[in-house]
Amino acid sequence: MSSDIRQFGDLATQLVMESRRSTQTDTLLKYNDSLVRSLIREQRDLEKAAESLESGYNEEQGPPPALLIIQTAISRNKRCLLAYHSHRIDRLRDLYWTVGGAMPHILSDQEIRSKLSPHEVDYIRQYNSSVMEFRSEFSHELDITASITHPPKDLHVLVHVVKDCGVIQTELGSIDFQKGQRFMVRRADIEHLIVQGYLEEVS
Amino acid sequence: MASASASASTRVVPIAPIYDEQEDNDTPLSQLTRHWMNERHAPDILPAQEELLSSLLDHIRRQSEAVQSLRGEPSASEEDHIRIMLVQMEVERVKFIVRSYVRTRLFKVEKFARFIMTDETIQARITMAERAHASRHAHLTDRHFHNVVLQSLPETQSHLDDTPIFMPPMITKPDETRAVFVHALRDCPPLRFHDKTLEMKRGHISLMPFSFIQTLLLRGDVELL
Repeated sequence: MSSDIRQFGDLATQLVMESRRSTQTDTLLKYNDSLVRSLIREQRDLEKAAESLESGYNEEQGPPPALLIIQTAISRNKRCLLAYHSHRIDRLRDLYWTVGGAMPHILSDQEIRSKLSPHEVDYIRQYNSSVMEFRSEFSHELDITASITHPPKDLHVLVHVVKDCGVIQTELGSIDFQKGQRFMVRRADIEHLIVQGYLEEVS
Repeated sequence: MASASASASTRVVPIAPIYDEQEDNDTPLSQLTRHWMNERHAPDILPAQEELLSSLLDHIRRQSEAVQSLRGEPSASEEDHIRIMLVQMEVERVKFIVRSYVRTRLFKVEKFARFIMTDETIQARITMAERAHASRHAHLTDRHFHNVVLQSLPETQSHLDDTPIFMPPMITKPDETRAVFVHALRDCPPLRFHDKTLEMKRGHISLMPFSFIQTLLLRGDVELL
């Protein structure tokens, strides 16, 4: 316990460093369950320490300085915990938009899925339904989840099929996109497939 | 609607309205383009342009329907087909701007969701759909924090709204002190700062905190770059 007290905030610093590394390398790191758990344990220990100090001090001397330090550590740890989780869901939402809101891409991809905590999976599912509700406002005219990185320059685009994606309805009727084939298609019909990585633009 | 396609070959983003000095005969598209740029540069959420947006969306729908029926027309000449293609292209480009505009607002709505739920002035500036999304988002985020962190902490620490001293507040608010580039669309009334005044003539460009020019922006005297 005494060695714990000397290094308050260390665990929280580690946690925030993970968020920072995640930003710098632009990757979603694996959810660090054990670090979060030990930080929560530290919070409980600190709370007990604070309680025993609070009950022990006498009115004349005022609260012991140690109490102030413990309380600052509690607030800081809590803030770091929240910041870590908030940073992760921000990244998760970014990921959601870069794949054009395609949930299977996030949830069926083992590599991504293994990095998420069960709560985060729930979160992104509920986020998706919230966005879908918002999107339905515009559904007659346009799809707001489509790409916004480059303004369209041509109506048609030559695409190369990277992954089989089955039969898709287009302006020219239905096309069965099979790996390795090339098609000249209307951009608006297949834009989402480019975003999701099934097709690649041939330039 | 033709101005955007004219600039397509030379620039990636149609920034024509900056040079558009005829302020009184703005087309709906150039108005939307200006609102889109303002929205992208403003730290705060600007008033929703529901009428403008819905009239443009109606227009897009009518154009698309017209294109659908005209394309099947056997008597259409070569020239007609080129026109149809231009219309389709333009519709796609307008959709792009609308999409980007809506998404920019949505991003801010999510970022400030908790603040929006507590502040009525900002609620008045956003659409019903955006408000509903903000409310859903604020609850979703709160619930997530509760599930992953707060419920495991001792009772005294398990609230989201505490305001410990020496710490920034928990609720993200728009930062109105953020500096923006501002371009005067017409002569502006003098702005008073602490010790001096600045009079922006039409065409003047300067860099200053968003809060200073907020009212000018709402009146349409300036645009953000």
